[in-house]
Amino acid sequence: MIAYLVRRLLGVAGVLLAICAVTFVIFYLLPADPASAACGKTCSPERLAEVRHFMGLDQPVWRQFGDYLVGIFAGRELGSGPHALQCGFPCLGYSYENALPVWDLLMDRLPVSVSLAFGAAGLWLVLGLSAGVTAALRKGGLLDRTLMVGAVATASLPVYFTAVMLLYGLVRLTGLLPYPAYVPLTDDPVAWAVNLLLPWIALALLYAAMYARQSRSSMIETMAQPYIRTARAKGLPARTVVVKHGLRSAMMPVLTLFGMDLGALLAGAVITESIFGIPGVGRLFYDALQRSDQPVVLGVTLLAAFFIVAANVVIDLLYAAVDPRVRN
Amino acid sequence: MSRRTRALSASLSTSLALALLAACSTQGGDERGPDKRQPGVATGTVIGGTPKRGGTLTVLSNQDFAHLDPARNWVMPTMDFGTRLIYRTLTTFRAAPGKKGSEIVPDLATDLGRSSDGGRTWTFTLKPGLVYEDGTPIRARDIKYNVERSFAPDLAGGPDYAQRYLAGTEGYAGPLDGEHLDSIRTPDDRTIVFSLRRPVAEFSYTVTLPTFSPVPESREKGVQYDLRPFSSGPYRIESYARGKKLVLGRNPHWDAASDPVRKAYPDRIVVIQGLKGGQIDDRIIESAGADASAVEWSDLQPSSVAKVLPKPEIRQRLSAERTGCTDMLALNTSRAPFDDPKLRQAMQYAVDKEAQVTANGGPALNDVATAYLPPSLTGGRPADPVHDGPATGDVTKAEKLLAEAGKADGFDTTITVSTGDKTRAEALQQSLDRVGIRLRIETVDPSVYYDTIGDTANAPDMAISGWCPDYPSAATFLPFVFDGRTIKPKGNQGNVSQFRDKAVEKRMDEIAAMPDATAANEAWTALDQEIQRTSPAIPLLWERKPLLVGDNIAGAFGHPSWTGQFDFAVIGLKDPSRTRG
Repeated sequence: MIAYLVRRLLGVAGVLLAICAVTFVIFYLLPADPASAACGKTCSPERLAEVRHFMGLDQPVWRQFGDYLVGIFAGRELGSGPHALQCGFPCLGYSYENALPVWDLLMDRLPVSVSLAFGAAGLWLVLGLSAGVTAALRKGGLLDRTLMVGAVATASLPVYFTAVMLLYGLVRLTGLLPYPAYVPLTDDPVAWAVNLLLPWIALALLYAAMYARQSRSSMIETMAQPYIRTARAKGLPARTVVVKHGLRSAMMPVLTLFGMDLGALLAGAVITESIFGIPGVGRLFYDALQRSDQPVVLGVTLLAAFFIVAANVVIDLLYAAVDPRVRN
Repeated sequence: MSRRTRALSASLSTSLALALLAACSTQGGDERGPDKRQPGVATGTVIGGTPKRGGTLTVLSNQDFAHLDPARNWVMPTMDFGTRLIYRTLTTFRAAPGKKGSEIVPDLATDLGRSSDGGRTWTFTLKPGLVYEDGTPIRARDIKYNVERSFAPDLAGGPDYAQRYLAGTEGYAGPLDGEHLDSIRTPDDRTIVFSLRRPVAEFSYTVTLPTFSPVPESREKGVQYDLRPFSSGPYRIESYARGKKLVLGRNPHWDAASDPVRKAYPDRIVVIQGLKGGQIDDRIIESAGADASAVEWSDLQPSSVAKVLPKPEIRQRLSAERTGCTDMLALNTSRAPFDDPKLRQAMQYAVDKEAQVTANGGPALNDVATAYLPPSLTGGRPADPVHDGPATGDVTKAEKLLAEAGKADGFDTTITVSTGDKTRAEALQQSLDRVGIRLRIETVDPSVYYDTIGDTANAPDMAISGWCPDYPSAATFLPFVFDGRTIKPKGNQGNVSQFRDKAVEKRMDEIAAMPDATAANEAWTALDQEIQRTSPAIPLLWERKPLLVGDNIAGAFGHPSWTGQFDFAVIGLKDPSRTRG
């Protein structure tokens, strides 16, 4: 198991390094010039060269990349003398637009995205699984067809449409909820939940539909397995057969999907955060794109990659724990 | 001034335009009389009357500040916000709507400055007893220090007038290495003397810019000063979470008696950032709860204008002053086809500017531009057009000029626009098609638009760009847009046309050296017409800035010197008690 873990973690490091390299090169090739953006519209060539030097952009790309990697593990100093900026471990670059290290910006926004992701995930799991399992157990019936048609319809609605409709219906038209404004959980748990309810619902509706379909097909497949028939033949109560033997097995592929989705969502739901004005990592990413703030764009990309890869590792480890064949 | 990213919703703009289309001409704005097209309150009107002291003013914003550091603050409305609330400058604009707002008055200084040496030397004396937020005195050397900071490469992005005007600044890279400029002298704590490389008649206006506000050396934090500028104004920063929220509280040491401009009515000002534009509009239209005491930071969305104009009770909360900026179609003069002046002149007649008005939100929010310089720089009325004719274009004249240029069958060309301007590009495509010019449209995301058109080697044939003057002087306009010496290979943002004309550059230098501001202004207006004859760009629109306030807001008006933004010096609340509890 330890050897398997080491192999997986080395694989993760390789994937993250590759993503980092590719992203770095892509940003290097883009027409956007961070030095030019920072320098202002009337910047002279001489001043632009000074700014580029200060930002380290006059170095060859391989050197910039090397410094970046060193900074992630050891921190680094940007610039020199009285101009120097300290970027401590783990240094994911420095945002000259925000006057802060990228890591600090990410850590400032991450609680918001975590609040959004976990709340929405809880909601979509409850909605999606209950609909999927119910439909599977009523396979071919009216309820099954109704739920699945509803799931297809909901899944086909883009989140920006759902979000706008929710805002219109629950905020503007009825006034049931306030316009979302993020309140930290530690400040006021009730206000935190009330303000996040709309984005949670918007995201949950989208994902719940997919989870309903996935869990339905998985459940139907599982319930047709011979061991389920055996369990029934042994005279086990229907509830035990469904929950203990059926659901547990059927949920494995759903949980794989869940890990991936949650991992991706943790690094920011750009559209949802932008529509609802939630200052999470996704919104940070969007703003950074608008301002050619490449260190932040790169930092968010790496964070997203990390979460997705980490979610995969956790799932793989869980599989390996329950199925020794996976370790080999 | 600030570069302006365009992201208007095309279809909504068009529907709005149709809704607002009035049976009036939209040819050129004129500030002399009441403007029937003005969608909000009339120019000179203060929304909500005089505010009462106290309460919390909320600003709802879709974005973070570009930079609050006064050495780097060069974007509207952050410049307005910073200089009216957090730091003071040597002189500033009068807090008044209409033309009065273009007048300058002493701020930290006792007067508008005294020039000598033919306008090459300017001396300012600070008022006695001025202090920062901690009660320590504001000294002349603090202003010198901030001007010097604007030279530091790590503090780039701010107004560059100090670099342009001050003598002996070659190779200077700011004060952080312990080097200081000899061209700024501070013989005592209240006197500051600027030595300029050439006469600058309007230097009293130049020192309205945030570069000329005080920063004490002891508070220097380099790049991170941006997060917490030290206050010399009526408010100080209580908290600032970038991209989320800024809270300003009163500066207890600010002395209203020393400050004839800022009224500082609210006790607190809270800026909530990162909201979606349309939601901001909806919230302020509804004016429920705290939103009644809120103003919006960015323009009313085109899609929201139709929710405002038909309702008089909401419309009376709308300010829509002219921005004082000119929106242009820049023609890439560095290569064919637009290296031929005759073809560029043909474009002046081929373009249907009325269609541009319609595509950009309609006549309520736009006037047809007939010159590069906006009316605010030419005595309040548009300069006489060089290429006269209907705003819809003159196909016959355009075809004649095309034939003279050897392009009787038209030609193929390209335009790059941000995605929000696609409707405008399509309107342009249709108008050019009338004379056989085949336009291919390329759209790019707004985030890379200026980088794309600013890459001179790969720049498109045409691009839509604009310019706003920093203060009411054409010296802050034409040299930035048409001086070939400002072109840079990448990030080229001012002279998008890549226009190089030695005679024009020589004339710009001559006018800039004129000691008489009035004569200089007349010369700039004449030069505007001279440049129009070679047509490196087509003036398209003079836009308005639609901004809405909640129904508890008072003292709000679009300031003419702040591109029609609210003047934060005097805005406040009708009933401060509505924001308590």
